[in-house]
Amino acid sequence: MAIVAQSSKTRRIRRATLAWIVGLLFFYPIFWLVLTSFKTDADAVKPEHLLFFTPTLENYLNMTENYDYWRFATNSIITSVFATIFALAVGIPCAYAMAFNPSRATKDVLMWMLSTKMLPAAAVLYPMTFLTKSLGLFDTHFMIIVVLMLINLPIVIWMLFTYFKEIPKEIIEAGQMDGVNTWGEIKEILIPLAWGGIASTALLCFIFCWNEAYWTVRLTTTDAATLSKLIEGNRAPEGLFFGRLSAVSAAAVGPIVVLGWFCQKQLVQGLTFGAVK
Amino acid sequence: MTNRSLPRLLQSPAVILLLIWMLIPLGMTLYFSFIRYVLNSLRRPEWTQPSLSNWRGFGNYEFVLNNKDFLFAIQNSLFIVCSILFLTVMLGVMIAVLINKAFPGRGIVRVLLISPFFVMPAVNAVLWINMILDPVLGLQGLAVAGINTLIDGLQTAPIVGSFFSLWPEIEPISFRATQTSAYAVIIMVTWQWTPFAVLIFMTSLQSEDQQQKEAATLDGAGPWSQFRFLTLPHLARPIAIVVMIQAIFHLSLYAEIEIVSRGNGNKNLPYLIGEFANNNIGAASATGIFAVILANIVAIFLLRMIGKTLME
Repeated sequence: MAIVAQSSKTRRIRRATLAWIVGLLFFYPIFWLVLTSFKTDADAVKPEHLLFFTPTLENYLNMTENYDYWRFATNSIITSVFATIFALAVGIPCAYAMAFNPSRATKDVLMWMLSTKMLPAAAVLYPMTFLTKSLGLFDTHFMIIVVLMLINLPIVIWMLFTYFKEIPKEIIEAGQMDGVNTWGEIKEILIPLAWGGIASTALLCFIFCWNEAYWTVRLTTTDAATLSKLIEGNRAPEGLFFGRLSAVSAAAVGPIVVLGWFCQKQLVQGLTFGAVK
Repeated sequence: MTNRSLPRLLQSPAVILLLIWMLIPLGMTLYFSFIRYVLNSLRRPEWTQPSLSNWRGFGNYEFVLNNKDFLFAIQNSLFIVCSILFLTVMLGVMIAVLINKAFPGRGIVRVLLISPFFVMPAVNAVLWINMILDPVLGLQGLAVAGINTLIDGLQTAPIVGSFFSLWPEIEPISFRATQTSAYAVIIMVTWQWTPFAVLIFMTSLQSEDQQQKEAATLDGAGPWSQFRFLTLPHLARPIAIVVMIQAIFHLSLYAEIEIVSRGNGNKNLPYLIGEFANNNIGAASATGIFAVILANIVAIFLLRMIGKTLME
């Protein structure tokens, strides 16, 4: 018996070690990016400074003059925040109606919403460019906000719908008995009850907006250009400026990766549309 | 206001917005795909504006089908998507099973593992192609140079030198050629999406029937046959969902291709559309319609599958 316990213990240790190695390997590129961001451009390409070097904050301090980082970051924040707010504003009433007053068409409507997400963006590239240019909305925050909101709306509605379905119908109906109107129901009963779900939906929507790299690149030039556009524009330095490029990249993904840690569980619900529990 | 119309009213903003978002651009793509529409046409200035008098019928479709890049782009799209799917599902299942049981620091490992998924695609591509895969300055180049220095050193060593003198110098791989840059894209996207697969499989493994596994252990079933006959069938549906969702995301892969492969011939369907859209809008639109058809074939499967479990 002791031998069995012994061998299962070694197996457990081996398993844990392997798991740690895999985790570290997957994280390694991000670690490498952050590490390089503290090297000077010259040190960044020297093998002898692979791990041992004098760390410098220069790359971060010069980010504004090298890349005009804050302008792009501000655009990313503005567009992602407003797109998320609008997506919730449109999505909450919709998901509320679907969860508490489902009709026969509800399922089909949800499916259809999902199908808009599957439309390849590239297929409508030129019409979108044409429309935004002829409406005078090319390279404006407004257009990017609208597009980001629309591409994430199906996911937002689906996630909210799955959260709202968990709330017992009786609670909402009790509110109706007391003569609360619909707006009051949403504000006074639904939002406080589903607060956690709404928050994680918002967080995930924000992350997807921030990382979006098709429309933000194709529909902007300078005024509304986001961090995706900034990185895309500096893509091929061929070894030059590794240090400063790493700093600006790390500054672009760092906050989002940290936010992501908080909503990793919701990711499953959001991206599988509740089909895996 | 009656009880029936209110829910509809609440849903209408979302439905109307999505309807506009879907129908207008797609309708325009369909229209452009049937007319001659070229942005820079000095010879035929009337083609530079969309107009019904430039009707071309299925001419754009014919043009696209006869374009040698088109078949290559479809083939390349499918190659990239299928490779990514195969790798992410295989790695995803292995890692999910590995970290399914509790061990010290499991929470941290989970956080480390999921991190790549939140990296923006543009940074992912820049990071991998410059700092990791570059044949001279990236990690790959540094590693190859290191190994070569080591071999050089061993060749001059006293006794073993004559043995090592037969060893060749290792050549680093350049990931900027047409074919190899497709591999680079596969590597970086696999890195980014394996965490997603792991997360989904882990969630699903949590709901696996433990009593069944205990019974199997008592019956003398080894870990492999337990995996093969209990875990894998349990994962069948999550695997199908991961495959479908990723297929839809990766068929429209763009930023990575744009950054890694600009101008070196490695293109997929969205990239080809972007190229056409610089001038020949008719051809770009026809290619877009083909992309929609391709995505629809994939989407129908996904909707069927999720639809079954939706109202459970």
